[in-house]
Amino acid sequence: MNKEEAVEKARKDLAQRLKVDAADIKDSVEDADFPDMALGASEDGEMSGQMITRGWRIRLSAGGQSHEYRADKNQVRLYKYKGKNYRV
Amino acid sequence: MNRNNVVIHLALAVVLILVAAFAGQLNRWRKHWKSQLHIIPAEEKRRATSTTEAIALTDIRGFGRPEVLVKFKSGVSQETIDELTSRMNDRVEDRIENAPGWEAIDDLDNANVNAIIAQYSSIPQVEFVEENYEIKADDSLLPVLPHDPQFGEQWALANSGQRGGKKGADVSATLAWATTTGSDDIVVAVLDSGVDYNHEDLAPNMWTRPDSMPPYQDNELGAIDDVNGFNAIDNASDPMDENGHGTHCAGIIGAEGENDLGIAGVNWHVRIMPLKFMNAGGYGTTKDAIEAINYVIDRKKAGVNVRIISASWGGTQRSRALEEVIRKAYENDILFVAAAGNSSVNNDRNPHYPSSYNVPNVVSVAALDRNDQLAGFSNYGVKSVAVAAPGVDILSTWLGNSYEEKSGTSMATPVVAGVAALVLAEHPHMSVDDLRKKLLASSDPIVALKGKVGSGGRINAAKAVE
Repeated sequence: MNKEEAVEKARKDLAQRLKVDAADIKDSVEDADFPDMALGASEDGEMSGQMITRGWRIRLSAGGQSHEYRADKNQVRLYKYKGKNYRV
Repeated sequence: MNRNNVVIHLALAVVLILVAAFAGQLNRWRKHWKSQLHIIPAEEKRRATSTTEAIALTDIRGFGRPEVLVKFKSGVSQETIDELTSRMNDRVEDRIENAPGWEAIDDLDNANVNAIIAQYSSIPQVEFVEENYEIKADDSLLPVLPHDPQFGEQWALANSGQRGGKKGADVSATLAWATTTGSDDIVVAVLDSGVDYNHEDLAPNMWTRPDSMPPYQDNELGAIDDVNGFNAIDNASDPMDENGHGTHCAGIIGAEGENDLGIAGVNWHVRIMPLKFMNAGGYGTTKDAIEAINYVIDRKKAGVNVRIISASWGGTQRSRALEEVIRKAYENDILFVAAAGNSSVNNDRNPHYPSSYNVPNVVSVAALDRNDQLAGFSNYGVKSVAVAAPGVDILSTWLGNSYEEKSGTSMATPVVAGVAALVLAEHPHMSVDDLRKKLLASSDPIVALKGKVGSGGRINAAKAVE
């Protein structure tokens, strides 16, 4: 998965969650180092390799609210959405 | 003769004089070396880059070693000395230039050294006689350097100040290797994303289930052909790594040394047991980690000498079941080395599991950079983190016969697991309690670790294997 594919996956996920049109979601993306292989966004009961992992921080805004996704070539995760992390 | 010819002749004469002087000095050096009681010269030992070679050199030097050093009284001529020694079927092996009157005597009959001393003591022309002791004391302190082509990048093992690092900020592996380079009898379980067991720098050091040992029996699934290890994700036999993380950790512990390929592991020789519980993304479940640890305990009971589990992973959720199975590993004399985590937090206040479990076999590891500073990402905790090891820009094996540099307490953990394996290679019957104590007590105090990790130190392989 490349950066564009990761952003696309994140936009689709947020559109479904918020029940909005994906075209109405604004995004900004930056390269980032995450603390582990779950990109610092482990789900409950999940264990991850403790290796610094290069990826992308994707910030999506819709309906006046901002949400953070984290991605690398293997995965996309939603970070602290209503207090919880999700693998997308 | 014109002016040019004079200059050429003068220059030639100067060169000849210099060559003659150098040759004379070489001869003096040679004689001086011979008089040094036949200790292996440091330069020669350093060229002995494998243990086998070093032993071979030692043997060569040991052959024909003079038995005694004799001091004849002043005024005794060389002819008299030659006559006296020849009468006893001995030979003056060397005159010791820096100690006037002393001769190194080789007894050609290979008689007992005490008898030779008694013989020479009875000769009126002899002032003193003593045994030519073999001096070996410092041999083990000479560094042993492998020929692996990328070893120069392995600052964790030998920090020469490369890429702006601090010289000596390493785990003293090259000194440890003068004592041991590891053992095929020690098995280290790499509990991770599996291992690329076909990697050319790892393949010779991979564990495989002996033919004589029955396959693993899972309570629900029955027999699993664990010839290459165990895959807890699929409850299957193939622990092939699809991520790279486990392969990286395995290389730090035991990439084959002195094989003219890539890197050297902390152990040149060891047996790595691959266990897979994390997927291609590098994450997995607590349940699968527990199953893999149960597998290790089962294999230990079946006769595999697996003494260490290297666990470069973790999370913030406590699991009583995981803690219990790690305690079960302790009861089976297995050390559990675990990553402290990469969130820059104090684990005493914000625990990270499994490294924060208060079980006697757990060694929680923080990460250091190449300047002996706690890595910016590393977790710490004077009560809950035991020791630190290099964990930034660590070069190791990766999927498909490649090599990559990675950072994390994930990388520091197998350094400590590897040193533990070296200790066991030298002290195979050491208990898990003593092994843990040894690792921490032999660490080097580091200013940056004071109040940050329990031992206050960086792991030191050379001191640990003593």
